[in-house]
Amino acid sequence: MASNKLRIVHYINQFFGGIGGEDKADIGPFAKEGTVGPGMALAAATAECAEVVGTVVCGDSYFNENLEKATAEVLERVKAFQPDIVVTGPAFNAGRYGMAAGAVAKAVTEHLGVPVVSGMYPENPGVELYRKYAFIVETGNSAAAMRAAVPAMAVVIKKLAAGKQPLPGPDYMPRGLRKNFFASERGAKRAVNLLVKRLRGDHFSTEYPMPVFDRVEPNQAIKDLTRAKVAFVTSGGIVPKGNPDRIEASSASKFGKYSLADLTDFNPDNSQTAHGGYDPVYANQDADRVVPLDAARELEKEGVIGKIHDYWYATVGNGTSVANARKFAAAIAEDLRQYDVDAVVLTST
Amino acid sequence: MDMENQRRIKEAADKYGQDELIIVLGGAEAEASGLAAETVSNGDPTFAGPLAGVQLGLKAYHIMEPDVKAEVDPAVYEEQVSLMEMVMDADAIAAEVKSIREQFTS
Repeated sequence: MASNKLRIVHYINQFFGGIGGEDKADIGPFAKEGTVGPGMALAAATAECAEVVGTVVCGDSYFNENLEKATAEVLERVKAFQPDIVVTGPAFNAGRYGMAAGAVAKAVTEHLGVPVVSGMYPENPGVELYRKYAFIVETGNSAAAMRAAVPAMAVVIKKLAAGKQPLPGPDYMPRGLRKNFFASERGAKRAVNLLVKRLRGDHFSTEYPMPVFDRVEPNQAIKDLTRAKVAFVTSGGIVPKGNPDRIEASSASKFGKYSLADLTDFNPDNSQTAHGGYDPVYANQDADRVVPLDAARELEKEGVIGKIHDYWYATVGNGTSVANARKFAAAIAEDLRQYDVDAVVLTST
Repeated sequence: MDMENQRRIKEAADKYGQDELIIVLGGAEAEASGLAAETVSNGDPTFAGPLAGVQLGLKAYHIMEPDVKAEVDPAVYEEQVSLMEMVMDADAIAAEVKSIREQFTS
Protein backbone atom coordinates (compact mmCIF):
# COMPACT_ATOMS: atom_id res chain seq x y z
CA MET A 1 0.00 0.00 0.00
CA ALA A 2 1.44 3.33 -1.04
CA SER A 3 2.40 5.44 1.94
CA ASN A 4 1.09 8.69 0.44
CA LYS A 5 -2.48 7.52 0.78
CA LEU A 6 -4.68 9.13 3.41
CA ARG A 7 -5.30 7.00 6.47
CA ILE A 8 -9.05 6.80 7.04
CA VAL A 9 -10.47 5.65 10.36
CA HIS A 10 -14.15 4.76 10.19
CA TYR A 11 -16.69 5.01 13.02
CA ILE A 12 -19.90 2.92 12.72
CA ASN A 13 -22.63 1.64 15.05
CA GLN A 14 -23.35 -1.93 16.14
CA PHE A 15 -25.85 -2.49 13.33
CA PHE A 16 -23.44 -1.68 10.52
CA GLY A 17 -20.70 -3.36 12.54
CA GLY A 18 -22.59 -6.61 11.97
CA ILE A 19 -23.24 -7.14 15.69
CA GLY A 20 -26.99 -6.74 15.60
CA GLY A 21 -29.93 -4.38 15.86
CA GLU A 22 -31.58 -2.65 18.79
CA ASP A 23 -31.07 -5.65 21.11
CA LYS A 24 -27.29 -5.30 20.74
CA ALA A 25 -27.18 -1.50 20.98
CA ASP A 26 -25.66 -1.58 24.47
CA ILE A 27 -22.33 -2.99 23.28
CA GLY A 28 -19.30 -0.91 24.23
CA PRO A 29 -16.73 0.34 21.73
CA PHE A 30 -14.16 -1.90 20.08
CA ALA A 31 -11.71 -1.47 17.22
CA LYS A 32 -10.79 -3.63 14.27
CA GLU A 33 -8.04 -3.19 11.74
CA GLY A 34 -9.21 -2.54 8.19
CA THR A 35 -12.81 -2.30 7.04
CA VAL A 36 -16.07 -3.49 8.56
CA GLY A 37 -19.45 -3.35 6.77
CA PRO A 38 -19.91 -0.10 4.85
CA GLY A 39 -16.18 0.52 5.16
CA MET A 40 -15.79 -1.94 2.30
CA ALA A 41 -17.77 0.32 0.00
CA LEU A 42 -15.95 3.37 1.35
CA ALA A 43 -12.55 1.77 0.72
CA ALA A 44 -13.51 0.80 -2.83
CA ALA A 45 -14.78 4.30 -3.60
CA THR A 46 -11.67 6.05 -2.27
CA ALA A 47 -9.01 3.48 -3.18
CA GLU A 48 -7.10 5.90 -5.44
CA CYS A 49 -6.28 8.28 -2.61
CA ALA A 50 -7.03 6.65 0.73
CA GLU A 51 -6.94 3.52 2.78
CA VAL A 52 -9.34 2.51 5.55
CA VAL A 53 -6.81 1.52 8.19
CA GLY A 54 -9.19 0.85 11.02
CA THR A 55 -12.81 0.77 12.16
CA VAL A 56 -14.25 1.64 15.54
CA VAL A 57 -17.66 0.18 16.37
CA CYS A 58 -19.92 1.20 19.26
CA GLY A 59 -23.53 0.44 20.18
CA ASP A 60 -25.89 3.42 19.87
CA SER A 61 -27.44 2.92 23.32
CA TYR A 62 -24.05 2.54 24.97
CA PHE A 63 -22.77 5.68 23.29
CA ASN A 64 -25.76 7.88 24.06
CA GLU A 65 -26.23 6.64 27.62
CA ASN A 66 -22.53 7.06 28.51
CA LEU A 67 -21.80 10.06 26.33
CA GLU A 68 -18.60 11.35 27.95
CA LYS A 69 -17.11 7.96 28.71
CA ALA A 70 -17.99 6.52 25.31
CA THR A 71 -16.66 9.57 23.46
CA ALA A 72 -13.33 9.20 25.27
CA GLU A 73 -13.19 5.46 24.64
CA VAL A 74 -13.98 5.85 20.94
CA LEU A 75 -11.53 8.74 20.56
CA GLU A 76 -8.73 6.70 22.10
CA ARG A 77 -9.34 3.86 19.63
CA VAL A 78 -9.61 6.24 16.68
CA LYS A 79 -6.37 7.96 17.70
CA ALA A 80 -4.51 4.65 17.94
CA PHE A 81 -4.93 4.19 14.18
CA GLN A 82 -3.27 7.60 13.53
CA PRO A 83 -5.90 8.90 11.11
CA ASP A 84 -5.43 11.60 8.49
CA ILE A 85 -9.19 11.75 8.15
CA VAL A 86 -12.08 10.27 10.13
CA VAL A 87 -15.32 9.10 8.58
CA THR A 88 -18.44 8.58 10.72
CA GLY A 89 -21.57 6.82 9.48
CA PRO A 90 -23.39 7.38 7.19
CA ALA A 91 -26.15 7.47 9.78
CA PHE A 92 -29.08 8.28 7.42
CA ASN A 93 -32.07 9.20 9.61
CA ALA A 94 -31.06 7.09 12.62
CA GLY A 95 -31.19 9.72 15.38
CA ARG A 96 -29.00 8.12 18.00
CA TYR A 97 -26.48 6.93 15.42
CA GLY A 98 -26.36 10.49 14.06
CA MET A 99 -25.83 11.86 17.56
CA ALA A 100 -22.98 9.42 18.15
CA ALA A 101 -21.44 10.09 14.72
CA GLY A 102 -21.65 13.82 15.46
CA ALA A 103 -20.19 13.55 18.96
CA VAL A 104 -17.27 11.54 17.58
CA ALA A 105 -16.76 14.22 14.91
CA LYS A 106 -16.68 16.91 17.60
CA ALA A 107 -14.17 15.01 19.72
CA VAL A 108 -11.94 14.29 16.71
CA THR A 109 -12.03 17.93 15.59
CA GLU A 110 -11.20 19.22 19.07
CA HIS A 111 -8.59 16.68 20.07
CA LEU A 112 -7.02 15.28 16.90
CA GLY A 113 -7.51 18.21 14.53
CA VAL A 114 -8.10 16.08 11.45
CA PRO A 115 -11.08 16.55 9.11
CA VAL A 116 -14.22 14.48 9.61
CA VAL A 117 -16.59 13.38 6.87
CA SER A 118 -20.04 12.03 7.67
CA GLY A 119 -23.36 11.38 5.97
CA MET A 120 -26.85 12.02 7.33
CA TYR A 121 -30.41 12.74 6.34
CA PRO A 122 -31.00 16.50 6.77
CA GLU A 123 -33.51 15.95 9.59
CA ASN A 124 -31.18 13.74 11.62
CA PRO A 125 -30.69 15.60 14.93
CA GLY A 126 -26.96 14.97 14.55
CA VAL A 127 -26.88 17.50 11.70
CA GLU A 128 -28.32 20.34 13.74
CA LEU A 129 -26.06 19.69 16.71
CA TYR A 130 -22.76 18.74 15.11
CA ARG A 131 -22.68 20.26 11.59
CA LYS A 132 -19.82 22.53 12.66
CA TYR A 133 -17.53 19.59 13.26
CA ALA A 134 -17.85 17.59 10.06
CA PHE A 135 -18.41 17.72 6.34
CA ILE A 136 -21.84 16.09 6.59
CA VAL A 137 -22.98 14.84 3.21
CA GLU A 138 -26.73 14.79 2.65
CA THR A 139 -28.06 11.22 2.33
CA GLY A 140 -31.43 9.51 1.95
CA ASN A 141 -33.27 8.54 5.10
CA SER A 142 -32.53 4.80 5.28
CA ALA A 143 -29.72 2.35 4.66
CA ALA A 144 -31.24 1.66 1.25
CA ALA A 145 -29.57 4.94 0.28
CA MET A 146 -26.09 3.55 0.97
CA ARG A 147 -25.41 3.19 -2.76
CA ALA A 148 -25.69 6.94 -3.27
CA ALA A 149 -24.27 7.99 0.10
CA VAL A 150 -20.84 6.36 -0.21
CA PRO A 151 -19.88 7.93 -3.57
CA ALA A 152 -21.05 11.35 -2.30
CA MET A 153 -18.86 11.00 0.79
CA ALA A 154 -16.01 9.81 -1.45
CA VAL A 155 -16.23 13.08 -3.43
CA VAL A 156 -15.49 15.04 -0.26
CA ILE A 157 -12.70 12.68 0.81
CA LYS A 158 -11.03 12.88 -2.63
CA LYS A 159 -11.15 16.67 -2.58
CA LEU A 160 -9.59 16.75 0.87
CA ALA A 161 -6.93 14.27 -0.28
CA ALA A 162 -6.12 16.54 -3.23
CA GLY A 163 -5.83 19.54 -0.93
CA LYS A 164 -9.01 21.12 -2.31
CA GLN A 165 -11.91 22.56 -0.33
CA PRO A 166 -15.21 20.70 -0.71
CA LEU A 167 -18.10 23.05 -1.52
CA PRO A 168 -20.82 23.78 1.01
CA GLY A 169 -24.13 23.03 -0.67
CA PRO A 170 -23.23 20.72 -3.53
CA ASP A 171 -20.73 18.59 -1.58
CA TYR A 172 -21.94 18.77 2.02
CA MET A 173 -24.47 20.50 4.26
CA PRO A 174 -23.20 23.99 5.18
CA ARG A 175 -21.39 24.01 8.50
CA GLY A 176 -22.18 27.59 9.46
CA LEU A 177 -18.49 28.45 9.87
CA ARG A 178 -17.20 31.91 8.94
CA LYS A 179 -13.89 32.41 7.23
CA ASN A 180 -11.93 35.62 6.67
CA PHE A 181 -11.00 36.62 3.15
CA PHE A 182 -9.92 39.78 1.34
CA ALA A 183 -12.61 41.21 -0.92
CA SER A 184 -11.61 43.44 -3.81
CA GLU A 185 -14.20 46.10 -2.94
CA ARG A 186 -14.90 47.51 0.47
CA GLY A 187 -18.10 46.74 2.38
CA ALA A 188 -19.89 50.05 1.80
CA LYS A 189 -19.51 49.72 -1.96
CA ARG A 190 -20.67 46.13 -1.94
CA ALA A 191 -23.70 47.08 0.15
CA VAL A 192 -24.65 49.86 -2.27
CA ASN A 193 -24.17 47.52 -5.23
CA LEU A 194 -26.46 45.04 -3.55
CA LEU A 195 -29.07 47.74 -2.96
CA VAL A 196 -28.88 48.94 -6.56
CA LYS A 197 -29.35 45.41 -7.83
CA ARG A 198 -32.33 44.98 -5.59
CA LEU A 199 -33.91 48.28 -6.68
CA ARG A 200 -33.40 47.35 -10.31
CA GLY A 201 -35.08 44.02 -9.70
CA ASP A 202 -31.89 42.14 -10.68
CA HIS A 203 -30.89 38.89 -9.08
CA PHE A 204 -29.04 39.48 -5.82
CA SER A 205 -27.89 37.40 -2.93
CA THR A 206 -26.80 38.30 0.56
CA GLU A 207 -23.22 37.83 1.69
CA TYR A 208 -24.42 36.68 5.05
CA PRO A 209 -27.50 34.47 5.06
CA MET A 210 -29.50 34.90 8.22
CA PRO A 211 -29.96 31.73 10.22
CA VAL A 212 -33.50 30.47 10.61
CA PHE A 213 -34.41 30.12 14.26
CA ASP A 214 -37.28 27.97 15.35
CA ARG A 215 -37.92 29.74 18.61
CA VAL A 216 -41.11 29.35 20.53
CA GLU A 217 -42.03 32.23 22.80
CA PRO A 218 -43.01 30.95 26.22
CA ASN A 219 -46.63 31.54 27.02
CA GLN A 220 -47.89 33.68 29.89
CA ALA A 221 -47.44 32.00 33.26
CA ILE A 222 -50.55 30.37 34.71
CA LYS A 223 -52.06 32.73 37.24
CA ASP A 224 -53.90 30.21 39.34
CA LEU A 225 -52.95 26.55 38.98
CA THR A 226 -55.69 25.52 41.41
CA ARG A 227 -58.26 26.50 38.78
CA ALA A 228 -56.31 25.45 35.68
CA LYS A 229 -57.20 22.58 33.38
CA VAL A 230 -54.00 20.68 32.56
CA ALA A 231 -53.54 18.25 29.67
CA PHE A 232 -50.91 15.67 28.84
CA VAL A 233 -49.35 15.47 25.38
CA THR A 234 -46.54 13.01 24.77
CA SER A 235 -44.17 12.03 21.99
CA GLY A 236 -43.16 9.08 24.17
CA GLY A 237 -45.67 6.78 22.50
CA ILE A 238 -47.84 6.02 25.56
CA VAL A 239 -51.03 4.51 24.14
CA PRO A 240 -53.83 2.31 25.48
CA LYS A 241 -52.84 -1.36 25.69
CA GLY A 242 -52.81 -2.87 22.21
CA ASN A 243 -52.03 0.44 20.45
CA PRO A 244 -55.55 0.74 18.95
CA ASP A 245 -54.57 3.33 16.32
CA ARG A 246 -51.49 1.36 15.30
CA ILE A 247 -49.21 4.36 15.79
CA GLU A 248 -45.93 3.45 14.12
CA ALA A 249 -42.86 2.67 16.28
CA SER A 250 -40.84 4.98 14.07
CA SER A 251 -41.65 7.85 11.70
CA ALA A 252 -45.18 8.22 13.06
CA SER A 253 -47.82 9.29 10.55
CA LYS A 254 -50.46 10.06 13.17
CA PHE A 255 -51.23 10.84 16.79
CA GLY A 256 -53.92 9.39 19.05
CA LYS A 257 -56.39 10.97 21.47
CA TYR A 258 -57.37 8.77 24.39
CA SER A 259 -59.71 9.10 27.32
CA LEU A 260 -58.32 9.61 30.81
CA ALA A 261 -61.79 9.96 32.32
CA ASP A 262 -61.73 6.67 34.23
CA LEU A 263 -58.00 6.40 34.76
CA THR A 264 -56.07 7.34 37.87
CA ASP A 265 -52.95 5.34 37.24
CA PHE A 266 -51.26 3.67 34.28
CA ASN A 267 -50.44 -0.02 34.58
CA PRO A 268 -49.37 -2.82 32.20
CA ASP A 269 -53.04 -3.78 31.63
CA ASN A 270 -54.25 -0.39 30.45
CA SER A 271 -51.26 1.10 28.66
CA GLN A 272 -48.01 0.52 26.82
CA THR A 273 -45.54 2.44 24.71
CA ALA A 274 -45.63 2.29 20.92
CA HIS A 275 -42.23 3.98 20.72
CA GLY A 276 -39.37 2.16 19.01
CA GLY A 277 -35.67 2.81 19.26
CA TYR A 278 -35.39 2.56 23.03
CA ASP A 279 -35.80 -0.12 25.67
CA PRO A 280 -39.57 -0.13 26.26
CA VAL A 281 -39.54 -2.39 29.36
CA TYR A 282 -39.79 0.37 31.97
CA ALA A 283 -42.42 2.31 30.05
CA ASN A 284 -44.51 -0.84 29.57
CA GLN A 285 -44.20 -1.74 33.25
CA ASP A 286 -45.52 1.63 34.33
CA ALA A 287 -46.41 4.25 31.73
CA ASP A 288 -46.58 6.86 34.51
CA ARG A 289 -42.83 7.00 34.03
CA VAL A 290 -43.46 8.72 30.70
CA VAL A 291 -46.83 10.39 31.35
CA PRO A 292 -47.01 10.99 35.12
CA LEU A 293 -50.75 10.48 35.51
CA ASP A 294 -50.61 9.01 39.02
CA ALA A 295 -48.73 11.98 40.45
CA ALA A 296 -50.96 14.43 38.59
CA ARG A 297 -54.12 12.78 39.94
CA GLU A 298 -52.77 13.19 43.48
CA LEU A 299 -52.09 16.87 42.86
CA GLU A 300 -55.59 17.15 41.44
CA LYS A 301 -57.02 15.53 44.59
CA GLU A 302 -54.98 17.81 46.84
CA GLY A 303 -56.30 20.77 44.90
CA VAL A 304 -52.90 21.89 43.63
CA ILE A 305 -54.11 21.45 40.04
CA GLY A 306 -57.66 22.42 39.11
CA LYS A 307 -58.41 19.55 36.77
CA ILE A 308 -56.66 17.02 34.56
CA HIS A 309 -58.04 17.19 31.01
CA ASP A 310 -60.15 14.13 30.14
CA TYR A 311 -57.94 13.10 27.22
CA TRP A 312 -54.30 12.56 26.59
CA TYR A 313 -52.65 12.87 23.20
CA ALA A 314 -49.84 10.61 22.08
CA THR A 315 -47.52 10.10 19.18
CA VAL A 316 -44.08 8.62 18.65
CA GLY A 317 -41.14 11.00 18.36
CA ASN A 318 -38.71 8.42 17.01
CA GLY A 319 -37.68 9.44 13.47
CA THR A 320 -40.87 11.47 13.06
CA SER A 321 -40.39 14.25 10.54
CA VAL A 322 -40.50 17.85 11.69
CA ALA A 323 -43.26 18.50 9.15
CA ASN A 324 -45.46 15.75 10.61
CA ALA A 325 -44.70 16.81 14.18
CA ARG A 326 -45.78 20.34 13.33
CA LYS A 327 -48.99 19.07 11.75
CA PHE A 328 -49.82 16.92 14.81
CA ALA A 329 -49.07 19.83 17.14
CA ALA A 330 -51.41 22.16 15.27
CA ALA A 331 -54.24 19.62 15.34
CA ILE A 332 -53.71 18.81 19.02
CA ALA A 333 -53.51 22.49 19.96
CA GLU A 334 -56.78 23.15 18.14
CA ASP A 335 -58.44 20.32 20.04
CA LEU A 336 -57.07 21.53 23.38
CA ARG A 337 -58.51 24.94 22.68
CA GLN A 338 -61.97 23.48 22.14
CA TYR A 339 -61.81 22.02 25.65
CA ASP A 340 -60.50 25.26 27.21
CA VAL A 341 -57.32 23.63 28.40
CA ASP A 342 -55.09 26.13 30.23
CA ALA A 343 -51.76 24.31 30.29
CA VAL A 344 -50.06 21.32 28.74
CA VAL A 345 -47.43 19.00 30.13
CA LEU A 346 -45.28 17.76 27.24
CA THR A 347 -43.32 14.59 27.82
CA SER A 348 -41.00 12.49 25.68
CA THR A 349 -39.21 9.16 26.18
CA MET B 1 -32.68 -8.03 4.29
CA ASP B 2 -32.28 -8.82 7.98
CA MET B 3 -29.05 -10.27 9.29
CA GLU B 4 -30.47 -13.66 10.23
CA ASN B 5 -31.84 -14.26 6.75
CA GLN B 6 -28.55 -13.17 5.20
CA ARG B 7 -26.73 -15.61 7.44
CA ARG B 8 -29.08 -18.48 6.52
CA ILE B 9 -28.74 -17.81 2.80
CA LYS B 10 -24.98 -17.62 3.08
CA GLU B 11 -24.94 -20.98 4.88
CA ALA B 12 -27.21 -22.55 2.29
CA ALA B 13 -25.04 -21.20 -0.54
CA ASP B 14 -21.89 -22.59 1.12
CA LYS B 15 -23.57 -25.96 1.55
CA TYR B 16 -25.33 -26.42 -1.80
CA GLY B 17 -23.44 -24.11 -4.16
CA GLN B 18 -24.67 -21.44 -6.49
CA ASP B 19 -26.08 -23.78 -9.15
CA GLU B 20 -28.35 -25.62 -6.78
CA LEU B 21 -30.01 -22.65 -5.19
CA ILE B 22 -32.48 -19.99 -6.18
CA ILE B 23 -34.06 -17.50 -3.84
CA VAL B 24 -37.80 -16.92 -3.84
CA LEU B 25 -38.83 -13.58 -2.43
CA GLY B 26 -42.12 -12.50 -0.89
CA GLY B 27 -41.43 -8.78 -0.35
CA ALA B 28 -44.49 -6.54 -0.53
CA GLU B 29 -43.05 -3.81 -2.71
CA ALA B 30 -40.54 -3.25 -5.46
CA GLU B 31 -37.72 -1.43 -3.69
CA ALA B 32 -37.48 -3.90 -0.81
CA SER B 33 -37.67 -6.86 -3.20
CA GLY B 34 -34.96 -5.33 -5.37
CA LEU B 35 -32.72 -4.77 -2.35
CA ALA B 36 -33.20 -8.40 -1.29
CA ALA B 37 -32.44 -9.64 -4.81
CA GLU B 38 -29.30 -7.50 -4.88
CA THR B 39 -28.25 -8.75 -1.47
CA VAL B 40 -28.19 -12.41 -2.56
CA SER B 41 -26.49 -11.69 -5.89
CA ASN B 42 -24.13 -8.74 -5.56
CA GLY B 43 -23.91 -8.44 -1.77
CA ASP B 44 -25.78 -6.41 0.86
CA PRO B 45 -26.09 -2.88 -0.60
CA THR B 46 -26.55 -1.47 2.91
CA PHE B 47 -23.29 -3.12 4.02
CA ALA B 48 -24.81 -4.03 7.36
CA GLY B 49 -25.16 -7.82 7.23
CA PRO B 50 -23.14 -10.98 6.69
CA LEU B 51 -23.50 -10.59 2.91
CA ALA B 52 -21.80 -7.17 2.86
CA GLY B 53 -19.15 -7.45 0.17
CA VAL B 54 -20.06 -11.10 -0.49
CA GLN B 55 -21.15 -11.80 -4.05
CA LEU B 56 -23.08 -15.05 -3.93
CA GLY B 57 -24.38 -14.58 -7.47
CA LEU B 58 -27.69 -16.23 -6.58
CA LYS B 59 -30.69 -15.64 -8.77
CA ALA B 60 -33.72 -14.28 -6.95
CA TYR B 61 -37.30 -14.44 -8.20
CA HIS B 62 -40.40 -13.02 -6.66
CA ILE B 63 -43.19 -15.49 -5.89
CA MET B 64 -45.51 -13.48 -8.13
CA GLU B 65 -43.30 -13.65 -11.21
CA PRO B 66 -45.11 -15.74 -13.84
CA ASP B 67 -42.33 -18.35 -14.14
CA VAL B 68 -42.39 -19.07 -10.43
CA LYS B 69 -46.15 -18.87 -10.15
CA ALA B 70 -46.44 -21.52 -12.89
CA GLU B 71 -44.40 -23.93 -10.77
CA VAL B 72 -46.70 -23.64 -7.76
CA ASP B 73 -49.78 -25.82 -7.20
CA PRO B 74 -52.61 -23.42 -8.15
CA ALA B 75 -54.63 -24.38 -5.07
CA VAL B 76 -51.72 -23.58 -2.77
CA TYR B 77 -51.00 -20.34 -4.62
CA GLU B 78 -54.64 -19.38 -4.37
CA GLU B 79 -54.65 -19.98 -0.65
CA GLN B 80 -51.28 -18.44 0.23
CA VAL B 81 -50.54 -15.69 -2.27
CA SER B 82 -53.46 -14.61 -4.42
CA LEU B 83 -55.02 -12.36 -1.80
CA MET B 84 -51.79 -10.38 -1.51
CA GLU B 85 -51.36 -10.37 -5.26
CA MET B 86 -54.50 -8.23 -5.51
CA VAL B 87 -53.09 -5.48 -3.29
CA MET B 88 -49.47 -5.56 -4.43
CA ASP B 89 -48.02 -3.99 -7.55
CA ALA B 90 -46.90 -7.31 -9.03
CA ASP B 91 -45.67 -5.84 -12.31
CA ALA B 92 -43.43 -3.25 -10.65
CA ILE B 93 -42.03 -5.85 -8.26
CA ALA B 94 -41.36 -8.34 -11.07
CA ALA B 95 -39.69 -5.68 -13.22
CA GLU B 96 -37.42 -4.56 -10.37
CA VAL B 97 -36.39 -8.10 -9.37
CA LYS B 98 -35.78 -9.02 -13.01
CA SER B 99 -33.63 -5.96 -13.61
CA ILE B 100 -31.49 -6.76 -10.57
CA ARG B 101 -31.18 -10.37 -11.73
CA GLU B 102 -30.01 -9.28 -15.17
CA GLN B 103 -27.59 -6.77 -13.70
CA PHE B 104 -25.85 -9.03 -11.21
CA THR B 105 -26.22 -12.67 -12.29
CA SER B 106 -25.21 -14.51 -15.40
